[in-house]
Amino acid sequence: MSIYTATAAVPGAAARTGTRTTRVIGVLALVTTAFVVVSAFFLTPADSVQGDSVRIMYAHVPTAWVAYLAFITTAVASGFSLARRHRTLGFDRVAGASGEVGVLFMAMTLLTGSLWGRLTWGTFWQWDPRLTTTLFLFITYVGYLAVRRIDTDPRQRARRSAVIALLAVLEIPLVHFSVVLWRSLHQEASVLSPDGDVRLDDLMLFTLFAGVAAFTLIFAWLVIHRQRLTALADIRQTVGLDAAIALRRSETSGVVK
Amino acid sequence: MKDLGFILASWLATLGSIGVLAALTIRRARELSRQVPDDAKPWV
Amino acid sequence: MDLSPREVPDAPRAQRRWLPIAFAVFAGVAGLAIIGVFLTSSIDYFCNVDEVGVREGCNDDERVRVQGSVDEGSLQLQAGTTSFVMSFNGASLPVVYDGEPGGVFQECIPVVAHGRVVNGTLMATRIEVKHSNEYEAENADRIEESESAACS
Repeated sequence: MSIYTATAAVPGAAARTGTRTTRVIGVLALVTTAFVVVSAFFLTPADSVQGDSVRIMYAHVPTAWVAYLAFITTAVASGFSLARRHRTLGFDRVAGASGEVGVLFMAMTLLTGSLWGRLTWGTFWQWDPRLTTTLFLFITYVGYLAVRRIDTDPRQRARRSAVIALLAVLEIPLVHFSVVLWRSLHQEASVLSPDGDVRLDDLMLFTLFAGVAAFTLIFAWLVIHRQRLTALADIRQTVGLDAAIALRRSETSGVVK
Repeated sequence: MKDLGFILASWLATLGSIGVLAALTIRRARELSRQVPDDAKPWV
Repeated sequence: MDLSPREVPDAPRAQRRWLPIAFAVFAGVAGLAIIGVFLTSSIDYFCNVDEVGVREGCNDDERVRVQGSVDEGSLQLQAGTTSFVMSFNGASLPVVYDGEPGGVFQECIPVVAHGRVVNGTLMATRIEVKHSNEYEAENADRIEESESAACS
């Protein structure tokens, strides 16, 4: 009888989660990111008021937008996961992978925002509406990931975490509009402002959008790979369980080889 | 360039953390992929 | 038949079962603390200069956070003390701060000063710069334009 346990290798199994598509996405992400870094440091001008500290914006704003994108992806995938829960766990895995990447990007938003804040506001942190709601959003998704890690079967994990994801995504409009709804130390939006005006010089705006494109490609690459990782872990767990049951059955019938 | 330390720290933290996650993802993918037969991997 | 103890590959995982639960509980408690303590006090992060002593929550006998623009020509730095006049909506308030404000503090820029009003002067313990959402290339002509626009 052939049994592969959770740690045994399967002879001849391909050791990868990548495909041609992910390699193309990866290369595009690297090229775009390289352009953004060069432009942020050497091509874009310093700001008339903030000086060189504006160069942090090209990392800060794209990480924030991609974190939003990640959390919205988590919610949409969770919705599909709930609607089609008897058929596949694929949507749940996408939701989880997207949540993981979103938390990383949100952490970077908070960190880069804090460093930028020290240079412009004169303080690393203040409990103003934008900063407070952003931290709340971040902690909510850390909680979401923690719930996903609680030992349970994958279908229960999918159901439980989908409900949390669908509730948590409602925080995003609160975060985005916090600077309009309440008085905040944080500036109002320069691009997605309520009046639709864009308040950036051309090259600054182009670099900002290139940053969003680069981080979106990185997000896509990471989500594809990480959802496949979850799939592998689930398969391994299931196969390991099947093998253990088969072993126990064979033990009771005395046919172990 | 003024405030270079803060600017570099922001970029290094951002790109570094992404790089670390990508590296960990690839390493774990290789490890797990070897333990699962190819017919259970739709992408292979 | 092999009677040696069977290897249990995932045994350490069971011991770490409490960790995600602890994380989830921590996230819940931290989230409630943020909403209950910090968000409640931050919804109106500041009072405008013209609201000091007028609007509820902006009493001049309590610690306040006041927002206004630094008046052109009012900024003085003497013996480690910064003094200036901040204005908003036609009202003005003198500010004294023991130290040099950080960030991009300058004349004609909106700031938030934390402190108490004593004899009509805000004795600030903290100054924060509230920069605008406009980004323009560093250029002498534009600096003059933006400063004159902000101070006019």
